[in-house]
Amino acid sequence: MKKSIIFFVLATVATVCFAYAQTVVTTGTTKTITLPPEKVDLKPGQGMDKAATYCVICHSAEYITMQPKGTKAQWTGSVNKMIKVYGAPISEDDAKVIAGYLAANYGTGQ
Amino acid sequence: MAAGMATVAAAVGGVPSTLLGEERRLAKFPEKTDLIRLTSRPPQLETPLHYFKELITPNEAVFVRWHISNIPTSVDLNQWRLKVKGNTERELNLSLDDLKKFEKVTYTAVMQCSGNGRRYFEPRVFGGQWGNGAMANCTWGGVRLKDILNKAGIKPGSVDVSFDALDGPPLPSVPDFVKSLPIDKAIEEDIIVAYEMNGTPPPMLNGFPARLIVPGWYATYWVKSLTEINVLTKPFEGFFMKTAYRIPDTPCGCVPPGTAPKSTIPINRMTARSLIIEPAKGASIKVNQPAEIKGIAFSGGYSIKEVIVSTDSGKTWREAKLGRDLGRYSWIQFSYPWRPAKPGKYTLMAKATNSIGESQPFEGLWNPSGYLWNMVQKNEVAVR
Repeated sequence: MKKSIIFFVLATVATVCFAYAQTVVTTGTTKTITLPPEKVDLKPGQGMDKAATYCVICHSAEYITMQPKGTKAQWTGSVNKMIKVYGAPISEDDAKVIAGYLAANYGTGQ
Repeated sequence: MAAGMATVAAAVGGVPSTLLGEERRLAKFPEKTDLIRLTSRPPQLETPLHYFKELITPNEAVFVRWHISNIPTSVDLNQWRLKVKGNTERELNLSLDDLKKFEKVTYTAVMQCSGNGRRYFEPRVFGGQWGNGAMANCTWGGVRLKDILNKAGIKPGSVDVSFDALDGPPLPSVPDFVKSLPIDKAIEEDIIVAYEMNGTPPPMLNGFPARLIVPGWYATYWVKSLTEINVLTKPFEGFFMKTAYRIPDTPCGCVPPGTAPKSTIPINRMTARSLIIEPAKGASIKVNQPAEIKGIAFSGGYSIKEVIVSTDSGKTWREAKLGRDLGRYSWIQFSYPWRPAKPGKYTLMAKATNSIGESQPFEGLWNPSGYLWNMVQKNEVAVR
């Protein structure tokens, strides 16, 4: 009984490893790739939960973390662009919280 | 189970390597070697500069840039079709085999992201923070767009041709990535729908099974995983033409740093540029030993006529030797034999000029979106 559980666990781990290694599979006329999982590592701070919820609906968090330090006005502009241009479903209040979070954690301090 | 998967993936996938002090880490994506990961979803991956020591960039090292997050990850060639429609005599639904029945055209061309070099803008601008690695020199094989359009039969009154692909928006409110070319541009001889990249099908992340190639123009027009060509009787007004990917309507495509342009036009032909690859920035070189300066140069569809090199911060210049010429759309390698006689800090510079006199500025030309970067680069090296 115990042995079979260990075997099952090992088999599962092996399958997962194999599946991950096989990032490109061609079956008949179909080619399929498996993308690596994304990492979300926003700085902790007031409003992070809202940024982590809304911003990553459409893109990974690196779209924030790779940017140069922005002013409050730049980050507010960025959040507004996401709402007005791309239709991000963010309320006015949440938009302020997110812009504040971004300016405080990824900002120039201005 | 999901957590186990993530741990395995973390152990195998992301190789942490801080390259410039900011968020620039290497990552392995399908059919790709370790590239600098700017973003994961949609993927934006940059090529480390050492790959540019080669005349042709291998497929696995070519940069990746998608705009909206529902990118194709699975393609069945039995299902995939390239549809040609709109203001044409007939509608076409071409399979990959159908495409291969047209006359095949092959040439080498630089593919470069509009925002290549954006991280060097001062003042800095938001957007993909590319260094110089959002470019590649590949040999493309495919069919002339003109031949496809002529088979469909372009009707009078055609103005623009738009190009749509397998990628799609994550929310209905997000604009789809669709690009267009004016009809006169679309029927130019050298624009092709490529099904080969360096002799093999393009990797999924570079536009499998076929993509548009607009040689000489920035890669924003090189629509990947193409599915639809639409001939239009009115100017195309999609977001990625009318609002995004626009440059100031000035001769330099630039405005005073930090200011807004009065009017803009869609980005188009690439500016002339060069890049020293060896010795790299910060390299340490032995005094009185040969240290060849090597790099690449290209422009938007005009042959590079001359590359000059300076080893003294631009005080004096010498002509570099140009390598094998693969045509006006390819980059050309340059080399200059250098043997530093004294220890110290040296600033190496290179400046390219093309056949119509286009060259590179010594100060960065600025525009709000961070496009057209081609400033003469400075590689500071130490001679010991």
